[in-house]
Amino acid sequence: MMLRFAAVVVVALAFAGPAAAACTQPRTSQAYLDGQVMCPTCHTTLDMSDSQAAVQIKVFIAKKIAACWTAKEIETALVANYGQQILAAPSHKGFDLLAWWLPILGVLAGALALAFGVWRWSRRRPDEPAEPVGSGLDEEDERRLDEVLARFE
Amino acid sequence: MTKRLKGTAQLVALACVAGLLALLVWQVAHQQHAPSVGSVAPAFTLHRLEGPGRVSLASYRGKPVVLNFWASWCEPCKSEAAVLQRDWASYRRRGVVFLGVDYHDLDSDARRFVSAHELTFPMLEDGSGAVTGRYGISQVPETYVLDRQGRVVLHLAGPITDPGFAGKFRDALAKADA
Repeated sequence: MMLRFAAVVVVALAFAGPAAAACTQPRTSQAYLDGQVMCPTCHTTLDMSDSQAAVQIKVFIAKKIAACWTAKEIETALVANYGQQILAAPSHKGFDLLAWWLPILGVLAGALALAFGVWRWSRRRPDEPAEPVGSGLDEEDERRLDEVLARFE
Repeated sequence: MTKRLKGTAQLVALACVAGLLALLVWQVAHQQHAPSVGSVAPAFTLHRLEGPGRVSLASYRGKPVVLNFWASWCEPCKSEAAVLQRDWASYRRRGVVFLGVDYHDLDSDARRFVSAHELTFPMLEDGSGAVTGRYGISQVPETYVLDRQGRVVLHLAGPITDPGFAGKFRDALAKADA
């Protein structure tokens, strides 16, 4: 399967020679798109899969790159064929926006909680009893402790 | 103040856990399974692979239907294609409808496949896999035989050329045609 893909890529690139010269914009890369596009049958990105369906899409991408298509154009063509779920990243509209905003909101909420906790911890509360100074023993206990310790000297 | 804040934080945490649990339950409840034998096959309307227009499964109610899910990248589909075409040529005179559903495939490759294997029965495209999902398709090829009422008579997960499948397929066709 990998050999087949490699052979097609080689052929695509061979034909890309004249096209490459005609490309008016920087060519996108196979590696980039393999990380952006999902394999529809195995639900991983293309670079993680060598399934037949994934190889088919890799070949399609290789041909389109050779034909000077931009990454956006290739993604649009794939979405038209397979639907939005072919892209690894969710879209920036509708319900999919949640996938972008929830992690940011989560980090903000965590940072706020942490800041509040630090603020409360560092703030001395007036009703809190002061730390005892010295040993914390009363005079009688201190005297008895000194007596006991004196026996060991 | 502190107690109120603590209580609110606990409530928020509980709401988050409840939300995640609800999501899990929803996901489990909406898992898609293959329709069982005897049940009515899920309805669908799909675009034709070749040419314009859409085809609805409901429009074939009253006729036995062979629903074959395939893809151009699927190796066993290639060996199965000739058998399906031959059966279609033989059974269409008896009013049996064959429908091919192309699954998770590039339209251009799918059209080349149809042309290369000289398939003449109607082909529909399900690039997103929305319909195939409702049929619990996990691999291709898979074939359903539906009776005149649209009920599932047989489900074959694998090529109909597999040993043991050919007999079942023809038995099911006879049953669906009855």
